[in-house]
Amino acid sequence: MVPLRYNVRSLAVRKITTLATAGGIALVVFVFAAAQMLGAGAQKAMVTSGRPDNVIILRKGSDAELSSAVSNEYKKLGDRPEVAPVNGVGAVGEMVIVITGELADGSGGLSNVSVRGTTPEGIAFRPEFKLVSGRMPKPGTNEAMVGKAISGRFKGITTGGRFELRRNRPLEVVGEFSAGGASYESEVWGDLDVIRKYVGRESVVSSARVRLTSPAAFEAYRMAIENDKTFSVKAIREPEYYRKQSEGLSGFLQGLGTAVAILFSIAAMLGAAITMNGAVANRSKEIGTLRALGFSKLAILTSFVLEAIFLAVLGGAVGLVFVMLLSLVSFPVMNFQTFSEVVIGFEATPEVIISSLVFSVIMGLLGGLFPAIRASRVSPVEAMRA
Amino acid sequence: MNSTTYARRNLFRRRGRTILTLITIAVAGLIFNTIRTVDYAWKVGVNEAAKDRLATRHKVSITMQLPKRYIDDIRDPAKVPGIKAATWANWFGAKDPRGRAQFFAGIAVDHQTWFDVMDEMKVEPAALEEWKRTNNGAILGDLLAKTLEVKVGDDLTITSDIYPGDWKLKVVGIYTPLRKTADRNSLLFRWDFLNNDPRATYSKEKIGWVMSRIDDPSKSAEISRALDKLFDERDDQTVTMSERTFQLSFLGGFSAILSAFDLVSVVILLIMLLVLANTVAMSVRERLHEYGVLRAIGFSPGAIFGFILGESMLLAAVGGLLGIVLTLLLVNGVVGPAIEENMGGFFPYFRAPTAALVMAFIGTLVVGAASGLVPAIGASRRKVTDSLRRVD
Repeated sequence: MVPLRYNVRSLAVRKITTLATAGGIALVVFVFAAAQMLGAGAQKAMVTSGRPDNVIILRKGSDAELSSAVSNEYKKLGDRPEVAPVNGVGAVGEMVIVITGELADGSGGLSNVSVRGTTPEGIAFRPEFKLVSGRMPKPGTNEAMVGKAISGRFKGITTGGRFELRRNRPLEVVGEFSAGGASYESEVWGDLDVIRKYVGRESVVSSARVRLTSPAAFEAYRMAIENDKTFSVKAIREPEYYRKQSEGLSGFLQGLGTAVAILFSIAAMLGAAITMNGAVANRSKEIGTLRALGFSKLAILTSFVLEAIFLAVLGGAVGLVFVMLLSLVSFPVMNFQTFSEVVIGFEATPEVIISSLVFSVIMGLLGGLFPAIRASRVSPVEAMRA
Repeated sequence: MNSTTYARRNLFRRRGRTILTLITIAVAGLIFNTIRTVDYAWKVGVNEAAKDRLATRHKVSITMQLPKRYIDDIRDPAKVPGIKAATWANWFGAKDPRGRAQFFAGIAVDHQTWFDVMDEMKVEPAALEEWKRTNNGAILGDLLAKTLEVKVGDDLTITSDIYPGDWKLKVVGIYTPLRKTADRNSLLFRWDFLNNDPRATYSKEKIGWVMSRIDDPSKSAEISRALDKLFDERDDQTVTMSERTFQLSFLGGFSAILSAFDLVSVVILLIMLLVLANTVAMSVRERLHEYGVLRAIGFSPGAIFGFILGESMLLAAVGGLLGIVLTLLLVNGVVGPAIEENMGGFFPYFRAPTAALVMAFIGTLVVGAASGLVPAIGASRRKVTDSLRRVD
């Protein structure tokens, strides 16, 4: 095999060409990795919202809290042996609505925000909840708090602000909370009964949640309540529910981004092919010499393919370094499942890094293969005579 | 042999490299044009959508409903002048229990007036008569009817995201589009059928939104304000907007994706720049000796500069033109018509706009100039003796 050092040095000699080609690949990898990171961010926001021993109960036929309605009898859903009460409460009922807010950036644009009516028990149900600033809303009043991901994004939806749910019935925002990166951070939380009264739906909740004694108790619990004729509900494990919620969004983002990156990669691969072709042409004398020294055709082929891959991985690594800077920003997107915005971050996971590097290797391989085949066919006699 | 001939012949000295570069520029141009087309198609819907229609919905939330009696206020010419006709609808959250259609709009509408206002949907008068007689009658868009494999006279059972149980409908008609903006994937059934069902007490005597047709599109802002003022003192306030804005309010967050697209379209130009710059740099490096000879026989540095810049701009121009041809063939010829056919509701007009093509071509020329500039300056400033001495 031709020593790798030969390839590395060859790349180093043609600095501008190497930089230009690697730069093209870096840009493609940047786009590819950014889309993967956004998809991973969507998944993280949703998945950390669930616990394996939590069950969410929706009306049969509903896929999301927004369209679901469970009667006020929901409290009975907590009276089962499989349920482990949290702070003495078995089933926590909540109301989720989506409201239209005016963006605070002055553009006059509108977007949708989820508002969750909850109770002190509902808040206690989520140990990751933390008040970041301001104070807790007083239960039973029109006070509310805003998730830190959307605080300040909408007019009036920030600590000290107020926004109307119905004429002359505003919610007043008194605090800001975090929830360990979960999608709750893109919601506004207010009082269950006040919000239900404001929207005229006092007799139902959107969903109920219970905590089980152990995740293994789920099947027994599900059978029991889904067969109970008093209710027409279905039970879903919380992580499962949120996974389904994020599937569409993260799949959409990753699919779209990957499609764009693959299109872009055609241009970058052609760029790599041009560079490698040039390298082969300029070095035909060297190749001839190597062949004359006894290196096989296969060795030459491998050497040039490796050089192309090395070039591509160099570009990929540069792209990855720059894409990591995106971890500092977040991006508001529409979740079609909830009709409201979730603000998600760019999440750098090991999968993103590995898939980006694999993507670079593929680009190098495809771009370098044909020039490498050409190189392996160089006739030693003719090359050295030229 | 003049200098243009020299530049042209130089282009094909390394035929393989030139062809690859041209393909790269053409493909990059195609991608750039496609991205701009998506962006343009999204925005152009505003112009294609009916301008004489207004949508009125609950001010606070797209999911909250309005009292049914609001429709009488809206229709009263004494209260708001300028409204020709008004109809209403409720979102049903329809789902196909057999999973043949992934997502479609299922709405309960006022069967007396719906098609008068939504005049881009064409339906046979006989079907409308049948609808009046059939309580559970439904009229479907032609594309949806195909997906659900139903024809007039068939029974159709749907379920809902919002209301429990099975809903048994009977297909009484199929509507076809008269304009490209018509959504051909909607299922319409009678509002009174929903309203009289005990499972829908939540929306008893409630309506989701009102669609009005106005006399004079230039007065739409005025009429919108007048409409909202009408309900300003009531419990449920309204917000009235153009039909297009209404549709987009369901997909508002999509605009963030579009701005990301804008950014990404610049990235493809950068990739194009790098590839072209590399090609030019490689060619120039190989010909340094030759440029030295040209200088030695009397060509000025300016002439060398011109050769190199001209060559790179010629490459860019040819590649850019190829990209435009590809765009016209693929986007306007194949993809565009398919998108208009299937997603006309969102993309009524999916064709690469001339302005974007011109912009792309100018962009390519700028890339050509930028790629050639550095090598051209370098080669023209090089000392003749250096160039001639160099042995590769």
